[in-house]
Amino acid sequence: MAHKRSVLTPTLIAIVGFLTVCPVIMLVFGSFSTGLGAFGEFTLDKYIKAYTDPELFGIIVNTIIFVLGSSIVATGLALFLAYLNTRTDIPFKFLFRIISIIPMMIPHILFSVSWVLLLNPSNGLINLFLRQIPGLEDMAINIYSLPGMILVEGLLDLPIAYLILAPALASFDIALEESSKVCGSTTLRTLFRVTLPVLRPAILAAFILSLVRSLASFAVPSVIGMPGRIYVLATHIYQSVATGFAADFGKAAAIGMSVLATSVTLIYVYRYLTAEGEKYVTISSRGYRPTVIELKGAKYPLFGIVGILSMVLIVLPVLVLFYTSLVPYSMIPSAKAFSMMSWKHWIEVINDPISLLSLKNSVFLGVVGATLGVTLSIFVAYVIVKIRSHASGVLESLSFLSFSFPGIVIGVGFMWFFVRTPLYATIWSLLIGYIATYLPYGVRPLTSAFVQVHSHLEESSQVCGAGAFTTMRRIVIPLLIPGIVSGWILMATMFVRELTLSVVLSRPGTEVLAVQIFRFSEDGLWGQLSALGIMMIFISTALVLMATFVGIKFKPVEEGG
Amino acid sequence: MKKLMVVLLALVIVPAAFAADTELAKKAAAEGKVSFYANMTAIQPIMDVFNAETGLDGKYTRISTSKFLPTVLTEFQAGKLMADVLQAPLPVMEMLKAQGVLAPYTSPVAAGYPDWTRQDDQIQTFGIEYVGLIYNKELVKPADVPKRYQDLADPKWKNKIVMANPAAHATTISWLVGLKENVFASEAEWMTFLEGLAANRPMLVKSFGPTPAPVESGEKAIAISMPKYIITKAPAPLDWARVEQPLLGTPRGMAISASAQNPNAAKLFMDFWLSKQAMGMLATDVGEYVLAPGVFPPIDGMDKAKVIPIRTLSDEEISQWGATFKKIFELP
Repeated sequence: MAHKRSVLTPTLIAIVGFLTVCPVIMLVFGSFSTGLGAFGEFTLDKYIKAYTDPELFGIIVNTIIFVLGSSIVATGLALFLAYLNTRTDIPFKFLFRIISIIPMMIPHILFSVSWVLLLNPSNGLINLFLRQIPGLEDMAINIYSLPGMILVEGLLDLPIAYLILAPALASFDIALEESSKVCGSTTLRTLFRVTLPVLRPAILAAFILSLVRSLASFAVPSVIGMPGRIYVLATHIYQSVATGFAADFGKAAAIGMSVLATSVTLIYVYRYLTAEGEKYVTISSRGYRPTVIELKGAKYPLFGIVGILSMVLIVLPVLVLFYTSLVPYSMIPSAKAFSMMSWKHWIEVINDPISLLSLKNSVFLGVVGATLGVTLSIFVAYVIVKIRSHASGVLESLSFLSFSFPGIVIGVGFMWFFVRTPLYATIWSLLIGYIATYLPYGVRPLTSAFVQVHSHLEESSQVCGAGAFTTMRRIVIPLLIPGIVSGWILMATMFVRELTLSVVLSRPGTEVLAVQIFRFSEDGLWGQLSALGIMMIFISTALVLMATFVGIKFKPVEEGG
Repeated sequence: MKKLMVVLLALVIVPAAFAADTELAKKAAAEGKVSFYANMTAIQPIMDVFNAETGLDGKYTRISTSKFLPTVLTEFQAGKLMADVLQAPLPVMEMLKAQGVLAPYTSPVAAGYPDWTRQDDQIQTFGIEYVGLIYNKELVKPADVPKRYQDLADPKWKNKIVMANPAAHATTISWLVGLKENVFASEAEWMTFLEGLAANRPMLVKSFGPTPAPVESGEKAIAISMPKYIITKAPAPLDWARVEQPLLGTPRGMAISASAQNPNAAKLFMDFWLSKQAMGMLATDVGEYVLAPGVFPPIDGMDKAKVIPIRTLSDEEISQWGATFKKIFELP
């Protein structure tokens, strides 16, 4: 076993390293080279220009506020929703689960545009509604602000945080809470003194993943930040690349290196904070069954709060999207708008052969990519959690490498890498690029699930004569089903709407949904864009339902008790 | 009368020139396919007609302007440039020419095009990415529509304008510099215009793509944008301000790749692209301003507008002007 373990870590480091390091190395070369390619004469000029920019300090301050704010919103909201959904008897749980992950399925640019239509200070629908109320005639909530950016980015990162927290909450050991209650604690005190501290690895994982994601996010900073003249690192990088016709991605990579360094530091902080892994184990060789807390009198008020939150924060933007797909051009709802509604944009999209091909390619990449990605993630998460060596720390950082890079830059890194391989311009380059970049979406939910499985279970299996593989298959994986389902959903929905790599790597025959959507957005064709966006939501919903169904079917824990 | 003669001649000669070179058509047929890199809207219908008429398999790859140069150069330097024909803004095409990516070819079909569209034997200019003021007809009264660019500096437009970021968007930067060089009488007059425009606190977006939506929805009244959106966004209540000064824009160029795997199919494609048929589709379907004689987008009054190309600015110049505009517009 020890031998197998010792082989496993270097093998995984080699695989994950190959996937994630190659594009980053290309970007490192590009950042130190003259000219526009990955290779040129050595220069420090790009770093000097990037880091002596007098505006950089203000941009970093904005970025810190934006990133911390949106991660707090995402994690806080996810914790609230995940707790209510997994641990209490709140009604319509299934519906809330879907609502919590809907933002994951919407192209971020569309979600941001929906919020602009709702909350722009001139004629945002919510502002128009509020102005009808006496005393609020001058109401102008401005989405083009840092709080606006934080709200929308927080909502977009909510599913990531939710899908990491929900499995951890679902496999929570009742004994810990019961002990607290036996000692006379109230439910609320138990929540703050026992439940939340034990969930620290999952909460931190969710928070850090949100931090890293919002750091690399471009849709919200460009659609909401730029019109408000609020610049963060992602838009700063875009501007430095896009001013002029010869986009210098080497210089962008030079700025991106500091984002990468920040992300890698965060991973090590996370490891340090969760170093005493044993404290967080909740599934040991004793039987466990997650309990349902009766909300009693609070049941319906809480249901009301969650309902209103979901309605305003998530359902409304989706409705705006549906409305946009039916009206001939961007118009605020009115009798005229309703009289002009038609399925024109839908019909155009359905009759467009490239849109249909991209639909097919995206489903393939979603299903096959997520399955392969989660399989790799199981092994990576196992090494990270169960073999806590220096090498496993390296593996954990490697898994974050491509993911941490600002989106507009990493795509070019992959292009510089793939063009030197036979995979260039094939669907396999997209598949490999997706898995490499979004590996943390598989690894994070699985590590937080692994943390809770006590090694006694594996040891018992091995004492009974089972090999490492059998132990993994018969004992560990069944206990990880909620984490596997979460990871698969995160990866599949991400792959279905992936843009940053696709826009650089996709070629005729390998078009994908997000690239079609991006083209519509470049042409300002919001109707077609919304129609295709909703189709994307349907596909992702089908994948989520499929994964949830498979998860329920293969979850032996409930039977075993 | 002279103009009519040119139009009639072009009508007779241009299609004949495209169809006549059967030798080229045969060689192209032997190659069987052609790959075209560009960043334009709704090219697929043109590709479909080309494929139907020639029996070739024409494939179109759309690459956004900011990624065009890195993509083409990366592929070219790795010996894997997949494009036979390339189309991009003229400054990008000139950079590709400097890197040796382009091959010489003078299409016989371009004979009717203005002389300035063919300044060397490699790049053929076929259109102008024209910029204009587009406004919401339901919000702006006819009397208030700007008659000159200077009118945009009127305080009545405060918080009512949307435009691409003048500190970063290369085409907008070039357009503002083009105004100085082609429209305004003096630099002082131009500077007053810029300061007035900046004082009106325009909403700044990433590029031209997001400019029409706020005008359509009424969030803003007017945009420094592209008149072609009047066609692509119909029936949105958009119209363009028929300013008494000329419209300006960056020329769009095209050329054959030096490493084209299908050089004959590439020539045939270029001939087809420059023909009245293809240019007519581009003007009619997506409102592009093309340079094929007598072909205009179906936008009221556009056939009478004076549309002139902006001089190619180097990236260094664009960056310097971007920094100047950043100060004027008080951007962080």
